[in-house]
Amino acid sequence: MHGEFKHADVEAARKDFQVRTLAKIPGDFARLVYLASTRDYNSGQYHHEGLARQFTEQVAREALASCHKDVFKRLALCSVRELVEELETYVGSTHLPALDMLSAWENLQPYRIAIPLDCSPLIARFFASNVKAALAILRFRQNLARPDRQFASQRQ
Amino acid sequence: MTVALYLALISAVLLIISILLLTRAVGRASEAAVDNEKEVSLGFKEDALALEVSARIFNPEDLNFVATETSGQFAHTFREERTTLALGWLRHVRGQVRQLIRIHRRTVRVNSDLKPLDEFRLFFGFLLFQLMSGMLYCVIWVHGPVEAARVLEWSLQFAGKLRKIAEEAVSVATPVRAEIIKTDPRMSGGTKSS
Repeated sequence: MHGEFKHADVEAARKDFQVRTLAKIPGDFARLVYLASTRDYNSGQYHHEGLARQFTEQVAREALASCHKDVFKRLALCSVRELVEELETYVGSTHLPALDMLSAWENLQPYRIAIPLDCSPLIARFFASNVKAALAILRFRQNLARPDRQFASQRQ
Repeated sequence: MTVALYLALISAVLLIISILLLTRAVGRASEAAVDNEKEVSLGFKEDALALEVSARIFNPEDLNFVATETSGQFAHTFREERTTLALGWLRHVRGQVRQLIRIHRRTVRVNSDLKPLDEFRLFFGFLLFQLMSGMLYCVIWVHGPVEAARVLEWSLQFAGKLRKIAEEAVSVATPVRAEIIKTDPRMSGGTKSS
């Protein structure tokens, strides 16, 4: 009985978070990055002040974990073509120069820490491989669009 | 004499190391077996997603897209990564099946209602699975996941045809057998009347 009640709470928190927060974030990539940023690096626990105040700390934590898994699943099952589109949307939403952001992502690989905690190594590796391919495609397109920059980077 | 002494000493050291390693390995194996049982239930939660991901690994769409959108070198690296992933997926599936069989063996030991025919069927199915997955592993390793998917599709079609032939043979053989049973009094259990 208590379990069912708690589950209903988590479901309510999930819906609330999806409508109030996630819906306003453009694209699943940005949502994934945002959700991963609500997770503590040391404990792996999620925290969201507003959601915890509205529900409870535990319910908010579970709702965030569940949303994170959902968004990650959608992106993990995307084709590379779809992933390129998602990544393009994300790059556009950051308002940073595309090449700078692509370089940072290629070097730092922040998408590796955006993966949910209990994800299997195989799926994590598959996702990382696809993101790497999507980044390479975007860089290739950027270089084609700006051959001067490509030449400069090759000379370096 | 000195050489023989050195060799004997090295042999003794190697023997001691081997015994130590073996003891540790046995200990780890029994610990792992206990952990495996706990992990089976956790692992199966991920299976639905792993299955969907496997469909993507064996799909040529991504490989073709990457080949047209990037350099040849990157496309080659991506193809190699997909091969590694496909092999990893197959190892994961084989591991899951082995775990299930291990758990089944453990349960069977304490089961009094054991059906030998069912056990034989399961054992035969397991052997067939090991053989097929081993072959698939080789094909993926040599030709990559896309070619392996074609081989898999072809072998499934072939298996379907074989099954159809077997079913037809059985349906033909059954009336003949029934006819023999009907006409042969020894088989039907009746007495011969002339």
